[in-house]
Amino acid sequence: MLIDRRKATMLIGGIAGTLVTGRASAANKEILIGGSVPLSGPGAAIGITAQRTFQHAVELINAEGIEVGGDRYTLKANFYDNKYVPAEAVTVVEKLLADGTRFLFSLGSGNSVPVVAKTTAAKCLQMSMASGKSHLTSPEFPLSFRVQPTNETAWAVYPWLKTARPNVKKIGHMNPSDEAGFTESDDRTMIAEKNGFTNIAKEFFKRGSTDFYPVATRLVAANPDLIDLGGTIGRDQALGCKALRELGYKGEIMLGYSDARSFIEVAGASAAEGTILFDTLAEPQNQKQKDLVDWWIKTYGPPFPSFACTVWDAPFVLAEAIRKAQSADPVQIAKVMTGMEWDGLFGKSRFGMKSVYGIDTTITRPIPMAVVKGGKPVQLDIVPWPANV
Amino acid sequence: MNATMLMQTIASGLVMGLIYMLIALGVTLLFGIMRVVNFVHGELVMLSAFAVYFMTTAAGLPFFVALALAAVASSVVAVFCQYALFSPLQYDILNCFIVGIGASFAIRSASWAIFGPEPIAIASTLPGVLNIGGVFIAKQRLLAAVLCAGLAILLAVFLRYTRHGKAMRAVEQDREAALLMGVNPTSVYVTAFVISAVLAAVGGAMLGTLFGVDPEMGAEPILKSFIIVQIGGMGSLLGTVIAGLFIGLTDSITGTLLGGELAFIFDFSILMLILIVRPRGLFGYDA
Repeated sequence: MLIDRRKATMLIGGIAGTLVTGRASAANKEILIGGSVPLSGPGAAIGITAQRTFQHAVELINAEGIEVGGDRYTLKANFYDNKYVPAEAVTVVEKLLADGTRFLFSLGSGNSVPVVAKTTAAKCLQMSMASGKSHLTSPEFPLSFRVQPTNETAWAVYPWLKTARPNVKKIGHMNPSDEAGFTESDDRTMIAEKNGFTNIAKEFFKRGSTDFYPVATRLVAANPDLIDLGGTIGRDQALGCKALRELGYKGEIMLGYSDARSFIEVAGASAAEGTILFDTLAEPQNQKQKDLVDWWIKTYGPPFPSFACTVWDAPFVLAEAIRKAQSADPVQIAKVMTGMEWDGLFGKSRFGMKSVYGIDTTITRPIPMAVVKGGKPVQLDIVPWPANV
Repeated sequence: MNATMLMQTIASGLVMGLIYMLIALGVTLLFGIMRVVNFVHGELVMLSAFAVYFMTTAAGLPFFVALALAAVASSVVAVFCQYALFSPLQYDILNCFIVGIGASFAIRSASWAIFGPEPIAIASTLPGVLNIGGVFIAKQRLLAAVLCAGLAILLAVFLRYTRHGKAMRAVEQDREAALLMGVNPTSVYVTAFVISAVLAAVGGAMLGTLFGVDPEMGAEPILKSFIIVQIGGMGSLLGTVIAGLFIGLTDSITGTLLGGELAFIFDFSILMLILIVRPRGLFGYDA
């Protein structure tokens, strides 16, 4: 059978194309990461910040690629809205696991704790930005990593308070009445006590409340030297702080996690003045942080949400662990990540806290401390992670 | 709880009660006249707050000018909803309820996309705190309370003494008889939606100065409004005023005595009790 020149050219081209494509697909492999974050609702601000930051980190990682046994791997992160509702988070994660995703980035304690048994059973490596204790971090869950210091920040912050605020003796606590809030409250009161402080009030509110006067009235009546809003995020902490000040509270207020500038805007400059901000980066302290700030401002405009800094390390640590493990298997990667050290955005960082949780899967790193001064956050100190924890 | 703390709790509760009452008045007005349970009302609260925020920050307008313009914008959206959503459904209570919920979610989702997730707040028009014998009241809260109470009185006067107000009451009492007496129901419906939207705008602006502005901010007030309206009696303005103040006070007292988490439990318990014992509410009538 004769074929004309045009058909022959197409045939050769097609074969060549198939060969090239086939070769490329053999060499380029993709690791899917599922993101379960709040993209709407009261936690949306941090969820969207997390998504944007994580995706940017993935872009940088992919530009270089991850070499594993001669193959070039890239990461692909797909984010889904858990609305900061545990039931939604469970649905999101069940769908991800059913679709074969074996790496999960989860934001929020209430969203991370209910899925950890499922991810562990499915041998899915879970990186949570969440408050948690043994229900999220324990030898029972060897693939569960906590990539943001949350309730654990108290281990660094309370010893610092003893010297930075020597007049503070009595502590009051205000937290949301949910998984994160109870965990934060338990840990912070325990750590405060270990450091010689007296806990005189422990109050809870419904996350997303508008009127904080009732809970603030109770706290003000107890007259603590410092009120720790440790487990609060976003608008809640601004409204909590505002209510405390409007009810005449003159003592110290301490909070963290959220974007300082949004906090100041919603609370009002006068109410926010003097507030101690833990794990808050007011000014970039090194080139890595400066690059991140510059990218954000260039891409999304000011203000830069300091929460982005807490997200940054997670995808890089995962990429590094894949390289070290020379495997895309979550179990092998988790073994490498356990106890792993790296030079992170905040300096020397490590998955540790075996002394507390029985397994080295919780991030430990320096904690930046800031204070609201003249209506804006000012860096106070960078507190090193305590050696004994 | 000592006397100062009790007074503080009562003062805080009355302020919140007045704000919720104002928002709930808009809900009950529409139900009374059209039997429409308007779920979009909460989104009007939110959109108005955003409008005031942008007009005061981006355009630099004075607060009350921005509020007046936001009330106009809110009215336009409300009347649009009336013609686009509720009128085609012939104000059928169940259909309007379902469509209202859908529209509410759609507006809220669109707001997330348009306005973004960062919490913002309308700058306080009256900064500072009053200390009256150990009872602290933020001046902004006091302003909100006075404004809400004033508007509620104005609404009562409008409905009782003006020709248009009387026409609205006539339609509320007997639509057919009102028609026979020459009342134009379309005009009454538009007026009701506009008044309701203005109340939502003022409530939204007040909430925005006190608690910040975000796409979810209408959710709690609308839920409280329905509790208030149900307790007071659907369509009863007096019932709404009394139930609004009652819910504000009980929220504050239960929140302070037992913790904020229990306030909602208490609200819903009262609601369930009322629905069982007196289904039409304290001051309602059989629909």
